[in-house]
Amino acid sequence: MSGHLLSSIIFLPVLGALVLLFIKDARAIRWVALVTLGVDFALAIPLLKGFDVSTHGMQFVERHAWIPSWNITYYLGVDGISVLFVFLTAFLGVICVLASWKAIEKKVKEFMIALLIMQAAMLGVFSSLDMFLFYLFWEAMLIPMYLIIGVWGGPNRVYSAIKFFLYTLAGSILMLVGMIALYFAAGNTFDMLVLMEHKYTFAFQIWVFMAFFVAFAVKVPMFPFHTWLPDAHVEAPTAGSIILAGVLLKMGTYGFLRFCLTMFPDASRFFATPIIVISIVAIIYGAFLALAQKDLKKLVAYSSISHMGFITMGIFLFNKNGIEGAILQMFNHGITTSALFLCIGIIYERTHTRDIGDYGWAASRVPVYATFLFIFALASLGFPGTNGFIGEILIAFGAYEVYKPYLIVLLMGILGGAAYMLYMYKGMAFGADSHGHDGHGDSHGHKVWDVDFREAIALLALIVFVFWVGFHPEDFLGYMHESVGNLINQATASKFEGLGL
Amino acid sequence: MVPVTWYIALSAVLFMIGAAGVLTRRNVIVVLMSIELMLNSVNINFMAFSYMLGDMTGQIFTVFTITVAAAEVAVALGILIALVRSNKTFNVDEIDALKG
Amino acid sequence: MNSEVAAFFSPGDFLAILPEMVIAGMACLLLLVDIAVPRTKKCVVPALAVLSVAVAAWFSYELAGSGVSAFSGMFVLDGYSDFFKLIFYIVAVFAILVSLRYIRTEEIDLGEYYVLLLFSLSGMMIMASGTDLLTIYLGLELASLPVYALVGFLQKSRKSNEAAMKYIILGAFSSAILLYGISLIYGLTGTTQLAAISAALVTGDVNGPLFTLAVIMLVAGFGFKVAGFPFHMWAPDAYEGAPTPITAFMAAGPKAAAFAVIMRVFLEGLYPAYDSWQMAIAAVAVGSMVVGNITAILQTSIKRMLAFSSVGHAGYALLGLVAGSEEGMASVMFYLFVYAFMNLGIFGIVIMMRKDSQSGDQISHYTGLGKSNRLTALAMLIFLFSLAGIPPTAGFIAKFYVFMALINKGMVGLAVIAALMSAVAAYYYIRIVMLMYMREPEKEFALASSRGLLCVLIIALAAVVALGVYPGYFIDLARYAAFPL
Repeated sequence: MSGHLLSSIIFLPVLGALVLLFIKDARAIRWVALVTLGVDFALAIPLLKGFDVSTHGMQFVERHAWIPSWNITYYLGVDGISVLFVFLTAFLGVICVLASWKAIEKKVKEFMIALLIMQAAMLGVFSSLDMFLFYLFWEAMLIPMYLIIGVWGGPNRVYSAIKFFLYTLAGSILMLVGMIALYFAAGNTFDMLVLMEHKYTFAFQIWVFMAFFVAFAVKVPMFPFHTWLPDAHVEAPTAGSIILAGVLLKMGTYGFLRFCLTMFPDASRFFATPIIVISIVAIIYGAFLALAQKDLKKLVAYSSISHMGFITMGIFLFNKNGIEGAILQMFNHGITTSALFLCIGIIYERTHTRDIGDYGWAASRVPVYATFLFIFALASLGFPGTNGFIGEILIAFGAYEVYKPYLIVLLMGILGGAAYMLYMYKGMAFGADSHGHDGHGDSHGHKVWDVDFREAIALLALIVFVFWVGFHPEDFLGYMHESVGNLINQATASKFEGLGL
Repeated sequence: MVPVTWYIALSAVLFMIGAAGVLTRRNVIVVLMSIELMLNSVNINFMAFSYMLGDMTGQIFTVFTITVAAAEVAVALGILIALVRSNKTFNVDEIDALKG
Repeated sequence: MNSEVAAFFSPGDFLAILPEMVIAGMACLLLLVDIAVPRTKKCVVPALAVLSVAVAAWFSYELAGSGVSAFSGMFVLDGYSDFFKLIFYIVAVFAILVSLRYIRTEEIDLGEYYVLLLFSLSGMMIMASGTDLLTIYLGLELASLPVYALVGFLQKSRKSNEAAMKYIILGAFSSAILLYGISLIYGLTGTTQLAAISAALVTGDVNGPLFTLAVIMLVAGFGFKVAGFPFHMWAPDAYEGAPTPITAFMAAGPKAAAFAVIMRVFLEGLYPAYDSWQMAIAAVAVGSMVVGNITAILQTSIKRMLAFSSVGHAGYALLGLVAGSEEGMASVMFYLFVYAFMNLGIFGIVIMMRKDSQSGDQISHYTGLGKSNRLTALAMLIFLFSLAGIPPTAGFIAKFYVFMALINKGMVGLAVIAALMSAVAAYYYIRIVMLMYMREPEKEFALASSRGLLCVLIIALAAVVALGVYPGYFIDLARYAAFPL
């Protein structure tokens, strides 16, 4: 069992999807999906427990011959960075099912199958050590995500789905070309560990870095490539938004860590300053746009762009604090943004509006909900004691070591974050309640009730992580110390053999 | 003694006339005749080269080309008859049920 | 006299063409059978047709790997021809199976239909095995002539007749160009045998303008047969007008056969002149990808869209030839193998949509299919994603292999163009997915499924998924077949 732990985690959802094919009752379908992902999450716990934090090597390695003609193997393994994301993905999977319990009414079976397949592909991306396998999972995510947005999304879903699909496909297909170039440069192998060790010429690094960069920057999304994100978020169903914000965006930054920094360290350093600059632009720009939004989902979507700016900046600082902060922040963003989307989804189910102006009564009518929302808003803006604080402070330390004026920008970003989150919370909870509702419904006459048991479970589970990371970050940072140390060694070593331009 | 290049030149001219006919003529029958002209220019080429090289392959090739050309015309005319039955025209410009 | 004849033909030569003889002989026989059996027992003819393909396939299997060169080096049995024959057998059987119900619906239930398919099959087989420009030409014509007739098989349909007329005119025109090129090659090298041409190119000095002209004419002639840009004009019309099973057959069978010939001619015969044809083929490939994929976006008829998409796919496959390596060849062969399944699969669904008054020819006819016919829509979804080259489907592996071959030869620029064009192509494929799944159906769907059709769909679907997840065996097969050449 333990020898195939990663495979079990990846393919259990596929098995669940196959089982779902033969079930007709919508209620049973939901339960099977929940149990599958629950077991999947339970499997991820021994993964964390059994992980040896004293080494940076790959663990839980599985390797089998797959396509011998191309020297491609089925090669899985996790290090201190990816293990956290496998865990996060497995955890958010359960939240996704809970979030779609009532929100998805039509084609429940198809939705759950898409969700499970999506889950498998995402887990696969984080645990692949063969680049071909990685790409296979990476692209395989497109199909279910496209369907989740396009079939179960909002009114403008078709446009958003196609935009999402084409953006990410165009980005990743260039990565494919870069990947094959790497394959031949390193002597016919897709083994990521071998590719990391190999030395490439500087010119080669620059070209392949750019091919990979586009793919990852679209996924993150970084500043000029971000336009698909607000559309996709607004139209996606809640579970889709959670997957997008919680996991998909992390794949871009994970890609930077796993490929760009380790395989093309010289090119990464060469491009570090421009990337930090566009990260800063994203931080400020995202914050300002978030402040200007009336639509709740758009607000959180733009806040994601801002937060992801912190993360890309942290990665390209090339020091321990910056990178550890970035990784922790990736985890945190997965928790808090998912929680915010879940909160939005919960209230949207009742009122069918996402316009902040339609609310203002949350504190009085749904106090429990308002409390949850408040905690997540604080976590998102980086209030001390919550997870967001730790991540941001680490990135700030890292930035300080590199170039002090970065701190000013970071501070502006943090202030901006506080501004839009509090603006949103005020709008939701304490806004001018001018509509004079009758005490049972909202201004449009929808019946409003506070969080129910199912929703409370999901929110509480998320809150556990908010404070766990907030008060005891070492439990999470401990996993990454060795791996990040190794990563920095790789990223700061000069690897190229002459210019070769 | 006629040099080989003359044959080649003649064949090239015939080929061009045939190709021009296919591209400009509007009557299907004339187009088919033009194609026949092109095939015959090829035959002249083969015969000339065969004679020049003292090799039989070209002549054998010609025999096959003539045979295949005959078969091709037979099929083409069969299709043409079906087309004229449904379309009542020999003009390619009026054969336009398919756009493009 | 007798000894001279014996020098030309040995009994072994006839053994080598046994599969071709079976197919051609059975085709002749079936004409008689068709007259003999009563009108109500017409299923005998397709059954016998499938049987004869099976027998031929069995003979091919028995002969596989013998490496026989027959008829004084005009015909060869090697791994390469075996691989292509495998594709042809599959395509032919699939084409027969998907036709069973369709030709009854269209009231063209004549035995000649299957006879013509078999003749075309025998032509394709000769193309794959031909090592002399003469055999190749004869095979090409034998494969094409029955298809011209089949395209016009819907005698009462104006579109069908018109498509056949355009197709035969342009086909004959391209044959004439091809022949002219062949005649020039013959004049310059003094032979029509590929191996001898190659030898003559190495030793002799034949790089004059006349040779360039010959190469261009060969590229143009073959370009027509694979419907590569700018010689693709016939494809949309012929695809749209033809009976749908024939469209499927044309796109997978004769096209693969044309690739078999192109690769043999250019990589075996003209390989020493690689530099002079590489650019021309690369231009055709890039043009096909760009024009095919972009024009496909504008189409409203699904058959025309698939025609342009097949122009685009021909472009990808040609890239493998541009690479000019054994890996490149193997990648083209694998591509064609995969394309046969995807193509038959998607056309199978188009055929299924043809019932009574419902035609299923327009893209809009598929609106809301996902709602009422889940499994059909799911199958179509997988075929479309495979055509678009999204993993984990076979279409992805096929494209991946072509990219590998290109980048291995340092042709990264071409790989980037191909990559970008496959993103463009994804647009029109997923647009159909969108119509199927994200719009409400306009009316009830009635699907004309039959056992033969379902069988084809299931096999094609299984192949597309299996080749996507576990392609190793067939990659090795393609490599094994490509390497001795």
